[in-house]
Amino acid sequence: MKIVIAGAGEVGSHLAKLLSNEEQDIMLVDDNAERLAILDANYNLMTVVGSPTSFVGLREAGAGNCDLFIAVTPYETNNIVACSIAKNLGAKTTVARISTYDFMDPANESHVKRMGVDRLIYPEYLAAQEIINALKRTWVRNWFELHDGRIILAGVKLRQGAPIVGMKLKDFAFTNRNFHVSAIKRNHETIIPRGDDHIDVGDILYFTTTRDHIQELISLTGKTEQRIKRVLIMGGSKIAIRLVNLGHEEFRFKIIDNDLDNCHKLPQKCPDCEIIHGDARDTDLLADIGIADMDAFIALTDSSETNIFTCLTAKELGVKKTVADVETIQFISQAENLNIGTVVNKKLLASSTIFQLLLDADSSTAKCLALADAEVAELEARPGSKITRSAVKDLSLPRDLTLAGLIRGDEGMLITGNTVIEPGDHVLVFCLAGALHKVEKLFN
Amino acid sequence: MFKNLRTHLINFRQLVRIMGWLLMIEAGFMLFPTFTCLAYGESDWLPFACTALLTGGVGVLFAFKANPTSQHMGKRDGFLLTAMVWVIFSLFGLIPFLFCSNPLSYSDAFFEAMSGFTTTGATVLNSVSDMSHGVHLWRAMMQWIGGMGIILFTLAVIPMLNHSGGMQMFNAEVTGITHDKIRPRISQTAKSLWFIYLLLTLILILLLWCGPMSFFESVCHAFGAISTGGYSSSSSGIAQWHDSIYIKSVLIVFMFLGGVNFGLIFKTVQGDFSALRKNDVFRVYVTIIGIMLVMFSISILLRGQYTDWQSITIDPLFQIVSTITSTGFTVNNFESWGPYVLSLTFVMMFFGSCAGSTSGGAKIDRILYLFKNAKNELYRCLYPNSILSVKVNGKVVSPELVSKVIAFLCIYMLLTVGGGMALTLFDVPLIDAFFSSFSCLSNTGLGAGITGYGNSYDILPDAAKWILSALMLIGRLEIFTVLVLLTPAFWRR
Repeated sequence: MKIVIAGAGEVGSHLAKLLSNEEQDIMLVDDNAERLAILDANYNLMTVVGSPTSFVGLREAGAGNCDLFIAVTPYETNNIVACSIAKNLGAKTTVARISTYDFMDPANESHVKRMGVDRLIYPEYLAAQEIINALKRTWVRNWFELHDGRIILAGVKLRQGAPIVGMKLKDFAFTNRNFHVSAIKRNHETIIPRGDDHIDVGDILYFTTTRDHIQELISLTGKTEQRIKRVLIMGGSKIAIRLVNLGHEEFRFKIIDNDLDNCHKLPQKCPDCEIIHGDARDTDLLADIGIADMDAFIALTDSSETNIFTCLTAKELGVKKTVADVETIQFISQAENLNIGTVVNKKLLASSTIFQLLLDADSSTAKCLALADAEVAELEARPGSKITRSAVKDLSLPRDLTLAGLIRGDEGMLITGNTVIEPGDHVLVFCLAGALHKVEKLFN
Repeated sequence: MFKNLRTHLINFRQLVRIMGWLLMIEAGFMLFPTFTCLAYGESDWLPFACTALLTGGVGVLFAFKANPTSQHMGKRDGFLLTAMVWVIFSLFGLIPFLFCSNPLSYSDAFFEAMSGFTTTGATVLNSVSDMSHGVHLWRAMMQWIGGMGIILFTLAVIPMLNHSGGMQMFNAEVTGITHDKIRPRISQTAKSLWFIYLLLTLILILLLWCGPMSFFESVCHAFGAISTGGYSSSSSGIAQWHDSIYIKSVLIVFMFLGGVNFGLIFKTVQGDFSALRKNDVFRVYVTIIGIMLVMFSISILLRGQYTDWQSITIDPLFQIVSTITSTGFTVNNFESWGPYVLSLTFVMMFFGSCAGSTSGGAKIDRILYLFKNAKNELYRCLYPNSILSVKVNGKVVSPELVSKVIAFLCIYMLLTVGGGMALTLFDVPLIDAFFSSFSCLSNTGLGAGITGYGNSYDILPDAAKWILSALMLIGRLEIFTVLVLLTPAFWRR
């Protein structure tokens, strides 16, 4: 697939590297020649020095005959203009990254479409949704559901004392037929497990299951469900504003921010929310606010390090659930190994959305799940595709992907070796980084 | 997430495996001379068949027994592999020369093979015609493979290299200051370039065949001309067709094309003619050829060598294009044109033609940078505070790139002088020593005969041949790829 990416910022370069590894044709446009030179020399992609909002630059990049145009410069207005130009030149699908809710408002949908923008990525919104999910289900690390939860993929970190720790995977599968262990994250690495793999303390296990067996899963993993009501947010960032707007009916939010100007602007944007001016790294201040009575602590400042460490502090002070925004991708794996509940990352969320687009998945029903080195996708099996030809165990699937579950008609079910996938099934696929193009071949 | 972090400095197993694939490709190419020998009923088919078997066998062994633990390839792997490929290809490619009906010594055979792969075209054979058809074809094919690049060919045909490791190899092999891609993925770029190359070769074969050449001669000379190599299948070289204006004109056009950036040709073929017009380097290339033609003609007239209109038009033009593109075909009476022409030849060998072509030399791109920068420096003597930039093809070039180019040119000159001095150590006369050194480093391969020292490189002592072979390799891979292997930092963490 021919993909033009406008803007070689953090999101743009991340996407370009990722998609290039997935064997896509990548053109990267930016006006910063030095930044492009590094990417050009080290990755299998082509770069064009030019303005992403100019006809000259986009023509040179071949936006006119690309299948997908992704505008991810730091400014949403630039992205909209870039998409508009690309669409007029002849790009098939255009995607713009936005940073305000305005463009996403259903009332404005047709206007946005007329401007030449087919799809929107709003990483802050996705992050806010992810956090709300984490607050609703305190016992999971990641949560991915299809079709109103007919199939669910849940990532759970195992602690000492969980009943299934130490079991061999095939024994676990034998006694618990309602669960499919799709992947295990262990020591910074995600693996697709085999029957002989053990379940260890500290692993994050990705279970696929159906709605009816969630309670069973909670007890198997030795977790308890906690109700969250009072939430303290550190940093009045864009994610924080989105989060408060999305969840203010369900939760009671307090925002603590050390920028006085920003504090004065926040009440306008965040309804029903208490704003506190101060530094959340100050333990006395946290005690003053009543951190001990808080159910959850969410760190959303611009600094990944600050977010990680304050979350650890909050845990020590007795907060049950913490969420940290970690924008430095290298830190994610480390942060996940620490005692921090959920980690969100805007870049991964954005790239996850693009992956759904690439796979032509019906992303309207799926919620994306962003992991550092793996992807979860929902795909529809086409008639005559390779995946439908024989039972799963006879397909000789590559080792870096697994089929977790499927939805046939209205029914969610798990996939075993004997399952034969039928055309029209919606299949939940868990694949490691770099395996996406293999998935594409299987399903088309 | 950390699985891509390196545990070794150099991923030797992966390099061995890729080398295995490459050797299998070389073995495939060796089948062509084998069948040619069989078709002409020559006994040389046996050495070719055995070499092909040996090369293929080693290739299979390497490719399937290396079992690399990781596919990762970094910059070091790219440099090392690319440099090694050229040496190992020559080591296997020379075997038929050792056992053919007119066997060569080991030094001679290595020189001949390296000279072929690097498209130098300098030969140690005194009487080329005595060789079998198979040997002729193999010499021509070596140039043809080396012309566009061994690695580039591999990138085009082996999909497994279509990742960033392939990128590193591409960067290490392709000529030029910046390595412009013409398509987003490296294998597509390689395919497009090879497609253009193949197309030009086929057209040239047909055109030559229409003239007085036989089909076999057409193939050999087409391979030699488009790759700007310069091996000929006849003892007297291209002079055998001295009377044919047609052959000379066709060769001029295609040698000229061999000196143009293939990315540029690709764009032009796609219908983007403005790219050709806007390209500074291409314009300078044409201009230099024009100026040289005037100077050559004047020199010929002054020496009283004028015989007919051809002697001041086609003949010098042929010689100029052949020299500047580093092909190294010579016309009949080149030797009698005088010392001024010889000094112009020196200049042209140094310049070379456009980067990203099959030609050798320092490349006009770099010369352009050098002159523009020199002009700026002179201007700065008068106006020290002025901000000046080097602009090529309408784009400002960063100072780092300019300094890299100047470093390249300095090392280039040092290597020429060093190589020449090393040759004098073995009693090679001064002028011939420097001419040979220059000729091999720039991959031109103009015969030592021009300076009046012997008929071919055969006359040089063995040690000199090894020195010149090394210079050819350094010149073909544009210095840095080979020399970086000699720095301690390359082997240290």
